[in-house]
Amino acid sequence: MNDFENIKADLLVDCRGLSCPMPILRVKKELKSLKKGQIIELWSTDPGSKKDMPDFAKKQGDEFLGYVDEAGYTKYLIKKGG
Amino acid sequence: MKEVLPLEKTSLASDIWQEIKNGYNFIFIKDMPLWVAGIALGILAIFIFLWRYPWGISSGYGNWGDQLYYYAGLGKWIGFNKTPPLTPWFHPVSVMNFGMIFGAMGAAMMKGQFSTYRAPGREYVKGFIGGALMGVGSSFANGCIEGGFYTAVGVYSLGGFMMMIGLALGAILGVKYLIWEMLNWPVKIPNQKPLECKKTPIINWCKVYPYIGAGIYLLICLSFYIYSAFNKTVIGGMAFFGLLVGFFMQRARFCLQRTFRNPFMTGDYEMVKAVILSLIIYSAGSAVIKYGFFQPTSNGVDHRFWLGSLLGGCIFGFGMVIAGACASSGLWRAGEGNTKVWVAIVGFATVYPITKHAVSSTALGPFLGKGIYTVDIFGWTWTPVLYIGFFLLWYLLAVYNSKTEKFVITF
Repeated sequence: MNDFENIKADLLVDCRGLSCPMPILRVKKELKSLKKGQIIELWSTDPGSKKDMPDFAKKQGDEFLGYVDEAGYTKYLIKKGG
Repeated sequence: MKEVLPLEKTSLASDIWQEIKNGYNFIFIKDMPLWVAGIALGILAIFIFLWRYPWGISSGYGNWGDQLYYYAGLGKWIGFNKTPPLTPWFHPVSVMNFGMIFGAMGAAMMKGQFSTYRAPGREYVKGFIGGALMGVGSSFANGCIEGGFYTAVGVYSLGGFMMMIGLALGAILGVKYLIWEMLNWPVKIPNQKPLECKKTPIINWCKVYPYIGAGIYLLICLSFYIYSAFNKTVIGGMAFFGLLVGFFMQRARFCLQRTFRNPFMTGDYEMVKAVILSLIIYSAGSAVIKYGFFQPTSNGVDHRFWLGSLLGGCIFGFGMVIAGACASSGLWRAGEGNTKVWVAIVGFATVYPITKHAVSSTALGPFLGKGIYTVDIFGWTWTPVLYIGFFLLWYLLAVYNSKTEKFVITF
């Protein structure tokens, strides 16, 4: 978990307060602007994201690095794939 | 020389405790796959059909709205509600909806997942409008996504298939709107500071929630006895079935709107598979019930084929994507603490009684169509064949779309 905390993201997507499906849509949009290997950080309060984000990343061919609960939101990291 | 490993000292009591903890973890904590919920809901839907009537949700919302129109006197202006509505705790569908909310709330609490959070202002407006549109759609189709599509297909009402087409069209429009909004008029996220407690709260809610959840479950399981005391055992059963439905839906995050939305958003079709599996069980069960005359064959066949179902589906489909929940997932999301969905439910409940009245008391109703029993047209010889064909076709289309992203809306 310590490694996860140290990962530096290239872009932050703040979706606090937004519910399904906005976190997926916003991440999908921002991933387009990233290069392969760059990392996106998502802040989401929707409990659904915990299941949606890994599935979505897998489907898109990106790498889901994990999530961690912060005070008031959950932080997710996704690495753009090829 | 062999090394002798010291035996771990365990007592029978601690072994049993460990097993119970594993069981709790399995039932309440571990992620539940969608297909498990799909099977469970198919079976529960058959039970609900046998117990009373095929499963629906919207008339429960309608009952909540009726309270407002009757007791606030608003109904008189529009010319309906001459008789007082059933109280929400004696209206079978309303009771089942409460069961679902509390079933989901209990499940979220047992997992320590229950949390309410505030959404940006515009989200609440979208919630209300989406809910209102779902109310309009439901009154056209005579059922929400649950009663008008899932149950309709499950109990051989032809309108279900029409609503399905409508829902897909509506979902496409909804996704297009969300994408347009995101690109041109994005909702601003207020820069909230994370809530930091200055002092340690007296009650650590995360520790208390599982006990509240357990209390809710216990209470609703007692509903049979409570309602029996009033000679209303059937309604007690509705609360119990609602609880189970809410539990499975929340645990697996079984979301009917995802079935129609995600194929156009990302190409994901996990829900399509789960719904097909669920419907295979449901339709097989209701074939047994109807073929064997355990319940009248006309039960649940009241969806306005074809215009009502199609138009209603379109309006409902758009509304659900905007609201971020459909009628059924709205209930479990509400139970989980999603405040936007609470507003959507208010929108649904306030608009549905008006449009429902308008449709059923004017020429609009007959114009939109009437319930048609699939078996009356194709007989028991061909109906099963058509159903198998339909499930296969839907599945293959979803797989094809997932691989080619042919129908995924690009932006």
